[in-house]
Amino acid sequence: MRFTCKYWIALSLVFFGFALIRCKTRQSADEPKKMAIVVSTLNNPWFVFLAERAAAKAKELDYESKIFDSQNNTSLETDHFENAISSGYDAILFNPTDADGSVVNVKNATAAGIPVFCMDREINSNEAATSQILSDSYSGCVTIAKYFVETLNKKGKYVELLGLVGDNNTWNRSKGFHSVVDHYPGLKMVAQQSADFDRNKAMEVLESILQANPDIDAVFCGNDAMAMGAYQALVASGKADKVKVFGFDGAEDVVKSIQDGKIKATGMQFPEVMAQTAATMADQYFKGKRDFPKKMPVAVEMVKKDNVENYAAYGKK
Amino acid sequence: MKKIIKYTGSVLLVAVVAYNSVYFKKLDEVKAGATSFDAAKYAEKFWTEKLTPHVAKAIEIGQLLTLLQTDKNKAFADHAHALGIGNVKYFLVKGSGIVKSVEENQVMVKIESEREKPEVAIATEYVFGNAVRDASGEIDINAFTNSMDFNNVSGELNKIIREKVIPPFRSKVKTGDKVTFSGAIELNKEHLSTRSIEIIPIDLKIVNE
Repeated sequence: MRFTCKYWIALSLVFFGFALIRCKTRQSADEPKKMAIVVSTLNNPWFVFLAERAAAKAKELDYESKIFDSQNNTSLETDHFENAISSGYDAILFNPTDADGSVVNVKNATAAGIPVFCMDREINSNEAATSQILSDSYSGCVTIAKYFVETLNKKGKYVELLGLVGDNNTWNRSKGFHSVVDHYPGLKMVAQQSADFDRNKAMEVLESILQANPDIDAVFCGNDAMAMGAYQALVASGKADKVKVFGFDGAEDVVKSIQDGKIKATGMQFPEVMAQTAATMADQYFKGKRDFPKKMPVAVEMVKKDNVENYAAYGKK
Repeated sequence: MKKIIKYTGSVLLVAVVAYNSVYFKKLDEVKAGATSFDAAKYAEKFWTEKLTPHVAKAIEIGQLLTLLQTDKNKAFADHAHALGIGNVKYFLVKGSGIVKSVEENQVMVKIESEREKPEVAIATEYVFGNAVRDASGEIDINAFTNSMDFNNVSGELNKIIREKVIPPFRSKVKTGDKVTFSGAIELNKEHLSTRSIEIIPIDLKIVNE
């Protein structure tokens, strides 16, 4: 009797196992594929827009999607990747937190057979991601820097506010800017500090820099959130009319500030183009395409007072 | 005796295998090897082997401007290059003209052409950006592991222009000179403006008869 009971339990377990496998097979065959959208932070409207546009494109292509916020924390990003892999997501549209630190997450997903399409930010590996759709930050900042030099007439004191130090975009922008500005010895950088792409931090950092350097002529910021923070600090110290502020991103408040003459220029990125390209590539991957360019740069356009009418926030018209 | 030969032979074999299996290198050499992309060397090679031969195929600037007016899409499809998505495209152009003025940052040239005859600026001060690197369509971004290496190629190409192309021209050119040129220009397809064209020069000659 005991043997028979064990026998039936074992047999039931075997059938249950088969049923589970069958369930899984049916799910992958019949259910719509899912895209995980893992973004570095949702604390910045630019990335919110990037994530929402990726989700909208996924929906338009008839896929489910879910947005994961890494809060600029690479270990949280790792948790999101593990979740995405174990929850059966079929592609990851990814905005990394760290060019080096995020490589392992992408490699794990790729090893699990999940394609990863990087948006806007780069990882330092040509092989790990299926494709990387990146803003050409360096070139955008070269263009801004030319205008910076012309506007300051090749001389003056300036401050540079950097973004997150672990992000390639921070350095691509800074190096693009310096590849021009450093040719002009009359332009002196009195301070270079990170404000983590954050508006409030930028305000605090510039306020403190202004204590020691009250006579600056310009501030170059690695993104628009920091440009707005810097502008607030300049307003508070009564220097907003004298000091020229340059940003990068094409955020809504900065485009408006350029119209109003408060900010001199910004580099317009096209998050919608990047998000849509990533989702479209994932769709093509599901349909069998495997031959993707490893890197796809997206041109950045400079917005200043005399062409601002051509642009709206985030590259919209 | 046989044992001695056997043991000696074994020791020798192990020694040879060990000698050939292990080697030592200075950490500095290994690190240098890992980041050994030499942008200056790459740019020099690209300039002589890819860019200079390609310049012969550049479109005459007056012809390009006429085509932009009559069929913008064809002009961009046939003659523009860019490495990714976006409105900004680069053209490789050539032409000749008369110098109208020599300014602080540029030389203004009135184009001599059977087609459009605009006044263009040849940049002599602000030689920056990717126009020269990308205009020929001969460079592949996917051959570079790191974007910064790729960006440094632009920097080095522009350095060649600043150091070798511009100084001999700039030191002699004067208003009224006839000049020939080839170079790269940047145009925005979506917001096209041909009013103020700036040429980043690749080759400049004063050809007064």
